[in-house]
Amino acid sequence: MVVKATIDGIPVEVEYGTTILDAARSVQVKIPTLCKHPDLPASAACGICIVRVKGNNKMLRACCTPLEDGMEIITNDPEIVEVRRTVLELILSNHPDECLICGRNNNCELQRFAADFGIREERYSKFLRDIPADVSTGTIELHPQKCILCGRCVEVCQEVQDVWALSFLERGFNTRISPAGDIELNESPCVKCGQCSAHCPTGAIFEKDDTSKVWEALRDADKYCVVQIAPAVRVAIGEAFGYPYGTNLTKKLYALLRRLGFRAVFDTSFGADLTVMEEASEFVKRFAEGRGPLPLITTCCPSWVDFMEKFYTDMIEHFSSAKSPHEMLGVLSKTYYAEKNSIPPEKIFMVSIMPCTSKKYEITRSDEMFASGYADIDVVLTTRELARMIKQAGIDFNNLADEEPDHILGDYTGAGVIFGATGGVMEAALRTAYFFISGENLKEVEFKQVRGLDGVKECEVDVAGRGVRVAVAHGLSNVEFILNKVRRAKEKGEDLPYHFIEVMACPGGCVGGGGQPYGVTDELRIARARGLYEDDEGRIRYAHENPYIKKLYEEFLGEPLGEKSHHLLHTKYTPRPVYVR
Amino acid sequence: MGNMYKKIVFIKDTNAGKADLTRHYASLFAKYAKPFIEDMQLYVVRAADLGIYGKGMVVKIWPQNIYYASVKEEDIPEIIEASVKNEGVVDRLLYRPSDKQMRIVLRNCGVIDPESIDEYIAKDGYGGLERVLSGMSAEDVIEEIKKSGLRGRGGGGFPTWMKWNFARSVSSDEKYIICNADEGDPGAYMDRSVLEGDPHSVIEGMIIAGYAVGASKGFFYIRAEYPLAIERVKQAIDQAYEYGLLGENILGTGFSFDIEIRLGAGAFVCGEETALIASIEGKRGTPRPRPPYPSVKGLWDRPTVINNVETLANVPFILLKGGDWFASIGTENSKGTKVFALTGKVKNSGLIEVPMGTTLREIVFDIGGGVIGDKKIKAVQTGGPSGGVIPEHLLDTPVDYENLQRLGSIMGSGGMIVMSEDDCMVDISKFYLKFCVDESCGKCAPCRIGGYQMLNILNKITNGEGEERDLENISLIARAMQRASLCGLGQTAPNPVVSTMKFFEEEYRQHIFDKKCPSGKCKRLIHYEIVQEKCVRCGMCYINCPVEAITGSKAKGFVIHQDLCIKCGKCYEVCKFGAVILK
Amino acid sequence: MVKLDLERLKGLRAELKDKNKGDYIKVGMSTCGIAAGADKVYELFKEEIEKRGLPISLEKCGCLGMCFAEPLVEVGMAGAPVVIYGRVNTSVAHRIIDEHLCCGRIVSDHVYELRRS
Repeated sequence: MVVKATIDGIPVEVEYGTTILDAARSVQVKIPTLCKHPDLPASAACGICIVRVKGNNKMLRACCTPLEDGMEIITNDPEIVEVRRTVLELILSNHPDECLICGRNNNCELQRFAADFGIREERYSKFLRDIPADVSTGTIELHPQKCILCGRCVEVCQEVQDVWALSFLERGFNTRISPAGDIELNESPCVKCGQCSAHCPTGAIFEKDDTSKVWEALRDADKYCVVQIAPAVRVAIGEAFGYPYGTNLTKKLYALLRRLGFRAVFDTSFGADLTVMEEASEFVKRFAEGRGPLPLITTCCPSWVDFMEKFYTDMIEHFSSAKSPHEMLGVLSKTYYAEKNSIPPEKIFMVSIMPCTSKKYEITRSDEMFASGYADIDVVLTTRELARMIKQAGIDFNNLADEEPDHILGDYTGAGVIFGATGGVMEAALRTAYFFISGENLKEVEFKQVRGLDGVKECEVDVAGRGVRVAVAHGLSNVEFILNKVRRAKEKGEDLPYHFIEVMACPGGCVGGGGQPYGVTDELRIARARGLYEDDEGRIRYAHENPYIKKLYEEFLGEPLGEKSHHLLHTKYTPRPVYVR
Repeated sequence: MGNMYKKIVFIKDTNAGKADLTRHYASLFAKYAKPFIEDMQLYVVRAADLGIYGKGMVVKIWPQNIYYASVKEEDIPEIIEASVKNEGVVDRLLYRPSDKQMRIVLRNCGVIDPESIDEYIAKDGYGGLERVLSGMSAEDVIEEIKKSGLRGRGGGGFPTWMKWNFARSVSSDEKYIICNADEGDPGAYMDRSVLEGDPHSVIEGMIIAGYAVGASKGFFYIRAEYPLAIERVKQAIDQAYEYGLLGENILGTGFSFDIEIRLGAGAFVCGEETALIASIEGKRGTPRPRPPYPSVKGLWDRPTVINNVETLANVPFILLKGGDWFASIGTENSKGTKVFALTGKVKNSGLIEVPMGTTLREIVFDIGGGVIGDKKIKAVQTGGPSGGVIPEHLLDTPVDYENLQRLGSIMGSGGMIVMSEDDCMVDISKFYLKFCVDESCGKCAPCRIGGYQMLNILNKITNGEGEERDLENISLIARAMQRASLCGLGQTAPNPVVSTMKFFEEEYRQHIFDKKCPSGKCKRLIHYEIVQEKCVRCGMCYINCPVEAITGSKAKGFVIHQDLCIKCGKCYEVCKFGAVILK
Repeated sequence: MVKLDLERLKGLRAELKDKNKGDYIKVGMSTCGIAAGADKVYELFKEEIEKRGLPISLEKCGCLGMCFAEPLVEVGMAGAPVVIYGRVNTSVAHRIIDEHLCCGRIVSDHVYELRRS
């Protein structure tokens, strides 16, 4: 059904159920809102997006009111602007004036509104709430004093991620965000995915800034600083420098990292190729040889691992023991690379540039993360932190010449780079598993069924005459559907619904990670993923065909799932309490 | 035992202010009747209140139940002769008191034992349901409610039949009826009294609503602070189940309906429909945007009708007596009666029920008996923290939904507070606003911060720190709250402030510019002084001052030290000579 | 109890309506009344009625609305007017028993009339 109406006199035709806000956007009318995020249902908290129907005194919230047939919407009149301005001034009266020393300075939705509305004085008395910051996780910091209670973080944490770490406490003027029960975040179910920080309009939630540790290491002559960049970083960093969405800047990043002072620049996509080798072998062992339980579930995402260790402990035996790509690369840098280049491993300082806040947690999550005998990864920086470092360093990023990565841990295939998008791990693993089982490569290398932004993607792939049923989920709230199917089948002794499951915590996968540049929407997720798939198209498509991977096994590891691999590249999982207190 | 009197005379001085002459009149009556008192088996009773005010000496004679008003001493023998000795009437003194109250909702309150379903049934209880289930279709029931013109008594005044009809027309596997008994306005307790005094009427109303809407499940949402109401409702539900008036196959007609109780934890905002639903669902009690309206997508996303206690208590009677009968009561657009909790500076505070269209003056003076201490009435506040004040010169307004709204107040759930010249309007608006600030759920910015900031400004004003800009800022915040708050709580929270500013702007200006509180309520704006010319140096003020702010001696006289004074007013009270004055 | 159907409900109502209640004394026992001391008054009536063997039934009822005069007690006796007493504390309750219940003498200064239709 189509609804016909006018917005500011402009005729508009939209699907029945479209909100006034979205309808207005379709005719280039931008109604301001502080709380509505395109990813999330309207919470209707801020009260800025008010509009009115012609002739009616009442004002409606554009974010949550569906356009009705024949409505004559007015989005701008003196009273509407006055009310918006008053609401904004009220919000500002409850917000600290710390813009200059805030993590969101220059990148804050509230700050932008204050600028747009030309707020030049504080009309109302300042009332700040004295709520201490929560820095307990070491990955994500809560600064509730800067919170405008838009509700995005709570919504994304509860409904999109199904984690329920964040909630509102108290009421009225004292309302604040906090883990339920007023505990600290690291005592809560929080899985550190950072989606709260990616959706926060202000500086109330952001990643712990580790850039100073990296600067310090880079200045330390005794340290041999090496770095790796995750697949999803290359297609997002450009947003901070004015590039079109999804632009692949891999080679500029290599150049940049050398400029920053890193002695060797590696690529996590190489680690991803290695993960494919190990994980595909695991799958073949379980599926073709019948050794070990099915389905096999991927474990590249530390938030997913944390989530499972808290909420799906019955699934632990299904988890791939393969470490995540950057961890594999980390351990190799302090063993294989160190050996080959005669660098004392204790001098190597490994920095991971990740789209992810949870990776900061992962590097100390268990003893296996110290398999080299040292911290396999020393520091994790998010894409956002790297962007800040680039600006601090005074490097003209946009005009840097392309460079190549450093060998033995830098050359990657298309299979490795698509790890950054939902479905990518599955696709890459299937390409290699198919080869391992059938002895030949796929005719049709791309698995379109597992690409895209549907929350749950399922398909069946014929591998040497046997159907492999796979499922891909992203956004943790989509996990329940898949795993309940598995649980039911196991309970009833029925045929398994799936043999192979991929889960990434963040919507869209790592391209939509919690550490990526702000303002993520589905449009951006699609553009970033496209950048990765294009990279894939121009490269070797199979991890097992990566010459450096072959070399690695020949020279160092032996064979996938071999003793050395087992020691260096695999990990364990353990049930963890949902609430620590 | 048993009655030994043929006639009983009730006497009351209805002009009783400070000097109540009832006792005097009663003895006069006894004096004149003395010669015959034995023969006539007469007994004279001094009444405390005959429900008649300002009509001089009123005499009521039983068993004829005739009233005489403005009776003077010389009239007494005539009355005795005509109506006590005989069965006649003294026409010129005859008075017919008008019954301003009309009890539909409260029909059984204080009449039947609320713990006995039999007493309810004996008073035609479950007669409405009986009629409904004896062949009326759901559409018939809704039509009957439509005819009656019943509107929601919780405050909004939305036509009840429309709510029911919306929910009826949505198809769903389950629908719900919720009785909103989360009464929370300060000073309002209509719903509590109905639940405590006549719980079955509400249950019957819910069953009928369930039948009309096609729901098979109902919830009572009662605030936990009403333990007795909860107890009585529980008991009533059990009795109804036992009689087959609830549960499967009600009265053998195949219709089934269950009722459960849910307790509210005392958040005012949970009286708001969508917050109430969230609360029943076990979530944080915050409103969500509408549409979708609960009648389309409510409790657990099913069509849900939420009616207030008083609305539901009306329903059985409408079905019993017919919609047309109900529609004959009240005004053009507001039918039936309304229960009010009449409180404040009124003599007879209590629960009253009047036909719509009764004027505020009738309520305050004919039912409430006027203002305590016979002070001047200043205003009447209706609608609780969402309402506003109606000043004295508008008291002849007939009470209905539209009239009150036109005057910047609302009908609300039924709180009605009488204010006298002793009440400070800035202080009153501060009281109501504080309530809403405390009760704001904190979800939306205009209400959460706007209310807090406005309260801060009012505090400044009553502390003598008001500035010219404050009035403008109050108006700006008020408009932002009214226009941009998500739910009714925030949208209406500024009403008491806006309405007092409209009718009593001068009082605000006096606070801001003259730093004076004309009613003497705002402590920071008043001070007490001793007028030496009037002072007899008795020392009472000195003795009674709790903070030793008064010094001096009987020889030298006394003086109040303003820097020490806490303005408790004790000296002012104890001075018998008017020497302590309030400035 | 057998569950009612439409017929049985009608029958029960007719039966209940016919029942002559006899003399009664009713105490308003809602929150407002109890807060003002109605429960004490109720207990006192209960004890005294038992002790003296008075042929009168003691009942509870809800709130009449005259909050200013709580606790409220209604006395209905054959051959006498139904009287609502207000501000009934235990000493007034004693007077009601001694004067009204026993001798038919209505207690002065506590009679309240509620004007309603």
